[in-house]
Amino acid sequence: MTIGSYSVRLEKRTLLRSWEAALISILAIVLALVLFSLIFILAGINPLVAYQEIFSYAFANRFGLPLVINRFIFLLLCTSAFIIPYRAGLWNIGMTGQLYMGSLGAFGVLMALGGKESISAELNPFVLIPLMLVAAAIGGAVIGAIAGVLKGRFNINEIVVTMILNFIAYWLVAYMIKEGGAFMNPGGRGESFELPPSVYAPLLGDIPFTIFLALGLALLLYFVFAKTRLGYEIKAHGHSPAAARYSGISPLGISFLTFALGGAIAGLAGYHYFAAVPGVYKIARNYGYFGDLAFYGIICGLISQGNPLAAIPITLLFGGLSVGGRFVQGKLHMSFGVDYALLGVLMISLVAFQFFYRYRIIWTKIAKESPDVGVSG
Amino acid sequence: MQRELLEQIERGETVLEARGITKTFPGVLANDGIDFAIKAGEIHAILGENGAGKTTLMNILFGLYQPDEGQILIGGQPVQFRSPLDAIDLGIGMVHQNRKLVLAHTVIENIILGHPNAGTIMNLRRTGAEIEELCQRYGFSLDLKAKVWQLSEGEKQVVEILKALYRGAKVLILDEPTSALAPPETKKLLGSIEAMARDELAIVPFITHKLPIVLGISDRVTVLRNGRVTARLRTADVTEKSLAKEMVGREVIFRLERARVEAGAPVLRVENLNARSDKGFLALKDISFSVREGEIFGIAGISGNGQQELAEILAGLRKVEGGQVLFDESDITSSTALKRWHMGMGYIPSERVAVGSIGDFSLTENVAMNYYFDRDFCRRGLVDYGKLRRLTEELISEYDVAAPGHETKAKNLSGGNLQKLILARVLSRKPRLIIANLPTQGLDVGATEFVRNKLMEAKKEKAGILLISEDLDEVLSLSDRVAPIYEGEFMDIIPGDEVQRESVGAMMAGSRPEELQT
Repeated sequence: MTIGSYSVRLEKRTLLRSWEAALISILAIVLALVLFSLIFILAGINPLVAYQEIFSYAFANRFGLPLVINRFIFLLLCTSAFIIPYRAGLWNIGMTGQLYMGSLGAFGVLMALGGKESISAELNPFVLIPLMLVAAAIGGAVIGAIAGVLKGRFNINEIVVTMILNFIAYWLVAYMIKEGGAFMNPGGRGESFELPPSVYAPLLGDIPFTIFLALGLALLLYFVFAKTRLGYEIKAHGHSPAAARYSGISPLGISFLTFALGGAIAGLAGYHYFAAVPGVYKIARNYGYFGDLAFYGIICGLISQGNPLAAIPITLLFGGLSVGGRFVQGKLHMSFGVDYALLGVLMISLVAFQFFYRYRIIWTKIAKESPDVGVSG
Repeated sequence: MQRELLEQIERGETVLEARGITKTFPGVLANDGIDFAIKAGEIHAILGENGAGKTTLMNILFGLYQPDEGQILIGGQPVQFRSPLDAIDLGIGMVHQNRKLVLAHTVIENIILGHPNAGTIMNLRRTGAEIEELCQRYGFSLDLKAKVWQLSEGEKQVVEILKALYRGAKVLILDEPTSALAPPETKKLLGSIEAMARDELAIVPFITHKLPIVLGISDRVTVLRNGRVTARLRTADVTEKSLAKEMVGREVIFRLERARVEAGAPVLRVENLNARSDKGFLALKDISFSVREGEIFGIAGISGNGQQELAEILAGLRKVEGGQVLFDESDITSSTALKRWHMGMGYIPSERVAVGSIGDFSLTENVAMNYYFDRDFCRRGLVDYGKLRRLTEELISEYDVAAPGHETKAKNLSGGNLQKLILARVLSRKPRLIIANLPTQGLDVGATEFVRNKLMEAKKEKAGILLISEDLDEVLSLSDRVAPIYEGEFMDIIPGDEVQRESVGAMMAGSRPEELQT
C-alpha cells in the first residue's frame, strides 16, 4: 500500500522487547481515552475536565484513593488467580466462585473460634488473622481444584466447570448469610455477621496489609515462572501439553496444581474485600457486585499477557478508572454506566493494539521514479 | 484456448516450462532464477534437500504462489496462474504429500469433487465406468465405493492421482510419491507411473531423499540446492553417489559401516504386549522382544501398524492392555514417563514439532525439556538456566545445529536442525536405552547421514537402541536384528547378517515367513 510518497507494509515481528510491549499498551490507553472523550463531548462535557476529575479523584483524593487501592488489591489478586492456570494453557473463569468460597472459609474459621457470638469478642488477631487467611486460601483452592481435576483427569472443559461452580458458590453464600443461614447477621438484613474489631486486618493509614500480600504474590509468581522447575513445567504445559507430557510432566498434576493455587489466591481476594477493607468487615449484601468485579481479572490477565508484574500497573489503572468513572458520572450528572463504558472502550483498545505485538508497520520512502531504472533481468 | 493447444502437444515436445522463476519470502530467497522444461511422456524428477526450494517451486507451478520474477509457459505460451484452479484448467495435476481428501466420502465422490462435469446431478455409473477404465489402463486396483478413511496411504495416493487424471491432467506433479509406501506398493506405483508416461503424460516427482527411486524411473533429473538449479542431468549418466553430491554439495557416505559391538545384557524386555490404538482396536498383538546393550533392534514397517503405540508405551505415554515391559529386568509397565527418563531411557519421538519440541520456547528451554528434572540442572526447585544455556551452546556446536543462537525459538528451525537438536538433547543424557521413532523421516540426505552416525556412535557406547523406521534401507543398514511389523505383529525377528531385503519388504506388507519359503 502507498500513502503519498511512502509505501506502508506490515511485517511480522520475530521479537517483542518489553519496552515495546509497554509502549504499545500506553498508546492503546491514550487512544481509548481519546475515543471515550467523544462520549463526554456528546454529553456536553469538556473531556479534559472530565479526565481531570477522574484521575484526581482516583489518585489524588483522600476519599477516592483508598477506594482505588482496595479495588487494585482485589483485582491484582484475581488477576494472579487467572494468570497461573493461564500460563498452563487453562482458563480460570471461576475467580468469582473461588473468592466466595474463600470468604466462606474465612468467616467459617471466625465463627468456629467464637467470632460470631459477640461483636465485642476479644480474639487474638495473631492467631485468628493467619487462620482466616489460610481458611480463605483453602476454600478457594478446593473449589478451584475441582475444575483442575476434572480437566486433568477426564478432559472436561474447565471454562464450563468454573462457570458452573460460580453459580453454586453464589447460592451457597446466599444460603449461608440469608435468613436462617449459619452466618446470618443477627439483625437479618441479608448479610453475614460482622467481624469483631479485635480481628480487623491491620492497616497502614487507610490501606489494609493485604496490599503486601497481593504485591508479594505477583513478585513471587514472576519469580516462579522465570526461575523454578514448577514454573517451567507450567509454561511447558501451557505451550504444548503433548510435548510437556513427553518430557515427563503430568497433565493431571499441572491442571490440579494451577487451579488449586489460582483458587487459593482468589480465595484471598475474598478475605481482602470482606474481612480487610475498612467499612465492610462482613460478607455484604451486594457480594454479587464483587463477584462480577472479579471478571476483570480475566481481562487484566489477558492484557498483561500472563506476566504477573505487568498486571500491577494494569490492575491499578482498571481500579482507578472504575472508581473515577463512577465518581464523574455522579458529579457531572451523566447517565448510568460511565465507568463500565470507559473500561469497555479501554479493553477493546488494548485488545486491538495486541495486533502490534505480532506485527509492525514499516514505512519506506519511495524513491522518485527515474527514467534510467529498467526492469532487471 | 490454451487448453486446446495442450491437446496438440505430441510426445517429446515441451509441455511445461519455467523460466527464471524467482520467489522471495522475508529474509529468504526461496527460488532463484529456476529454469527447467518438461516434455510430454517424460519422467522428470526434481531433487533437493529440505529447504532447497522444492515446495515453493511446486506451489508456484500449481498456482498457490505467484513468482516475483519469471514466467511459466505451457505449450510454449506464457500463462499466469492466479489460483490452483487456473493450473488445473491448464492440465496441471498435483498429488500432495499431505493428502487433501474427504475422509468420510467414497473414492468416487472424492474423484469427482469439484469436477466441472459433475453438474448438479451426478451420473455415478458413467463416471465410475470412466474411472474404472483409467484404473485398468494404468494398473491401479481400487474399490471405488470404499470410504477414503478405510484406505491405506498408498491407496489414498492413487485416489489423488486418479482425481488429477480424471480432470485431464497432462502434467502430474507428485510430492514425495513413495514416502509412505511399503516396497511392494512402491513397485506397483512405479509401474503405473511408467504406464502413464507411455501415454504422453509428463510426470514430475519431487523427491528429497529416496535416490534409488529417482534412478529407477526418471528420464531426467533437475537438482535444486539453496533455491537454485545446480544440475540438469540425464538419469542414465548418474549414480546415487553423484546425485547425492549434487544435492548436498559434498560427498555423502551411504553405506554406514555397521559397527561390531559385543552385545551385552538385555536392557529392555517386552513380553506379550497388547495395546489398543486411540480408535480402540488392538494395535499391538502379543509382541515379545528384547533390546540388548550395544545393539540396534530395528522395527521395519509402514506407519500405522502399531509402531507409534509401541513407542508411546515404552516412553510411558500410553497404557498397555496386557503384558509387561522390563527395563534392566525391573518392571516398568506402569511407571511414569518421568521415572523412565530418570532411569536412563531416552525417547526420540516421531512428531518433532508437536511432541519433541515446543515452538515458542527458546532452544535453551527446549533443551530443558529433558533436563529440568535433572539434579545437575535443578536444585531445590530452581532451574539453573545459566548452566542450561552453556549446555545448549555446546550442543548447538557439537551437533552442528544451524541456528543464530540459544535464544532462537524452536519454531524457526528447519526440520533437520530441529531433529538434530532433539537428538542432541536426548543423546547428551547418555541414555542406556534409546527409542528412535522415525528418526530420519523427512530429513534430507545430509541430516539423515548425521542422525544415523550419531545413533551408531551411541551404540558403540553400549546403549541399546530401538529403531522404528519406514525406510527399509535404513533399518537394514543399521540394525543388528530386524523385526518386520504388520498390523501389530512381528512377522519375524531376523539377525541382521541373515536379512534378505525382498523378504523383509514382503513381510512389511503382511506376508508371513512360512509363506515366503514356498
